Amino acid sequence: MKKTFGIFAIVLLLLSCEADGTEASFFYDNPEIPIYIPKGFPELNPSVKANPPTLYGVELGKKLFHDKKLSSNNSISCASCHQQSNAFTDNRPQAIGVHHRIGLRNTPPIQNMSFMRFYNWDGNILLLEKQPLVPIVTHEEMDSSILEIIDKLSNDPDYKKLFVKAFGDEEISPQRIYNSIAQYEYTLISANSKYDRVMRNEGEAFTASELRGYQIFEQKCAACHSTELFTDQSFRNIGFPTNPNPDEAGRGRVTGKPEDYMSFRVPSLRNVEYTAPYGSFGQFSTLKEVLDYFDNGVIDAPNLDPILKENGNSIPLTEGEKEELIAFMKTLSDANFTAIE
Amino acid sequence: MKYYKNLLLFAILTFTLLSCSSNDDNPVANEITLHFHNTFKDTGIVLGNATSAEATTNKSAAGQLHHFSELKYAISNIRLIGKNGEEFPYHINDLDRGATVIDQSKSESLDFVLTNIPSGEYSGIKFGLGIKQELNTLDELRFPNFYATAGANDTEMMWEWGSGYRFVKLEGFYDTDHKQMSIHTGSTVTGTKGDEESYTQGVDAYRDISLNLPVNATVGKNAPTITIKADFDKLLSGKTNTIILSTGDSAEDNATPNIHTAEAMLKFVDNLGGNGTSDLSGMFSVEEVIN
Repeated sequence: MKKTFGIFAIVLLLLSCEADGTEASFFYDNPEIPIYIPKGFPELNPSVKANPPTLYGVELGKKLFHDKKLSSNNSISCASCHQQSNAFTDNRPQAIGVHHRIGLRNTPPIQNMSFMRFYNWDGNILLLEKQPLVPIVTHEEMDSSILEIIDKLSNDPDYKKLFVKAFGDEEISPQRIYNSIAQYEYTLISANSKYDRVMRNEGEAFTASELRGYQIFEQKCAACHSTELFTDQSFRNIGFPTNPNPDEAGRGRVTGKPEDYMSFRVPSLRNVEYTAPYGSFGQFSTLKEVLDYFDNGVIDAPNLDPILKENGNSIPLTEGEKEELIAFMKTLSDANFTAIE
Repeated sequence: MKYYKNLLLFAILTFTLLSCSSNDDNPVANEITLHFHNTFKDTGIVLGNATSAEATTNKSAAGQLHHFSELKYAISNIRLIGKNGEEFPYHINDLDRGATVIDQSKSESLDFVLTNIPSGEYSGIKFGLGIKQELNTLDELRFPNFYATAGANDTEMMWEWGSGYRFVKLEGFYDTDHKQMSIHTGSTVTGTKGDEESYTQGVDAYRDISLNLPVNATVGKNAPTITIKADFDKLLSGKTNTIILSTGDSAEDNATPNIHTAEAMLKFVDNLGGNGTSDLSGMFSVEEVIN
């Protein structure tokens, strides 16, 4: 697909050069890449239309995403923590930035961002284009600054070319960096798991264990892990062990509302098999540990989620049910998504 | 920034000397110096570590002893009020020229010089404690100097996760056992005020301060100095809230940065910068105008 576009662009370029006969007018065909909406997914976040992914915008964003120059000492890139093979997480309890500094929280997966309304575990970011600056300046992450980065990129002829292709001229501006990274992230869509193929009647079927897991899931989990994103994007305090770092308050630090204290966005369960450890600071190393915790009972709080309160602060599960739930959750793994091209 | 200020000082000195010798138009006379005097009630604040003997200790209305090791706040959106009530905005949309970080540990930061002020009499001043929402975006490209000042390692007036600036940063110790207190304020508002669709979440910690001058500041003949007192006694014993510090890990504990959570942060904000309605001065008052 990409190749076709590339050849098409070159052909157009040659044609256009011949047509007007001037060397100066470089013309790159930079078509929009349509975001396909998988069956049953919610509608696109309007920001996708405001910053629609283009062929070269995405290529540039992908290059920036993997470029260690974004960090102060050129040691980490976005992809250092957001590793595609782990559904863009890093399998660490908390993210690790420059000089091995440990961040506040567990690295969130990057998938299906085009359909999300809130970003990060506390939902502090509503516009994906506003996110890249946060890790760039954060002391425990890249500890750099946007002008420092632009300075580094300006010396790289490859970037000059890519900025021309993506945006029409060589200017490397903060907004172009943010937009291209967001464009790349908008294209990261995971909707081809076994679960999806079963639901689309593409000839696959759940095993008996997966099917029972699905039924238990519908009964005991789907109130929060709802929609085809497997999250209702609400913020809830579910009584997990709390992060001892005094900076942590969950969504409470964003909204200033007591009912949001230690509340976090319901995580999507897509690719959950690949995103261990679990919890806002990686409290649980396995899915089994998470389910055991719910079964044994969670920590009470004034703002504990009402669904948990109504059920005696727990989600009772037999050992067999836990196994079946895990079998079902593994059907949400999308090996095409995590395979590095 | 320090270099910049030194340069400014040098320029002022040069101008002063020149003007003394020539008797011509006097640009220095079209300046106003804002001097920030950080106090506990009437006593100037001295910073100190946990067991410092020199640090100025204060007692709150609730009886809690406390002192600071670090005291910083951002001032922006300065408007002078002419004697007939007209407003003179001072680079209100340019953080590099119109905003500053007051840092008790750097005496040069306590004076902010406003230049090229039209000759005339001024009866009041307005300014913001913090940065107004539309400029609070860590835009290094637009305001490299303020970004550098606020973001410097020794200043840390950047609120990284909120992609904005810290408005107030107070570090210190409280109670007789010197428990740590760490109070940071900043906005988490998302979107644009007035635009219902985008203005969806977060708290606004920016406060607009409005002060009358006890005597008019006369610009043109001399360069007046306005001493603005910032009385940090108000932090815990304010016009809006009486606050008792507590340490712990619940939502109500407020002595450490988990005040980010809450209403708790806004209580500090309202005490320091006023509540935006009935109190438009918070901890600030004009101590003196020297013409």
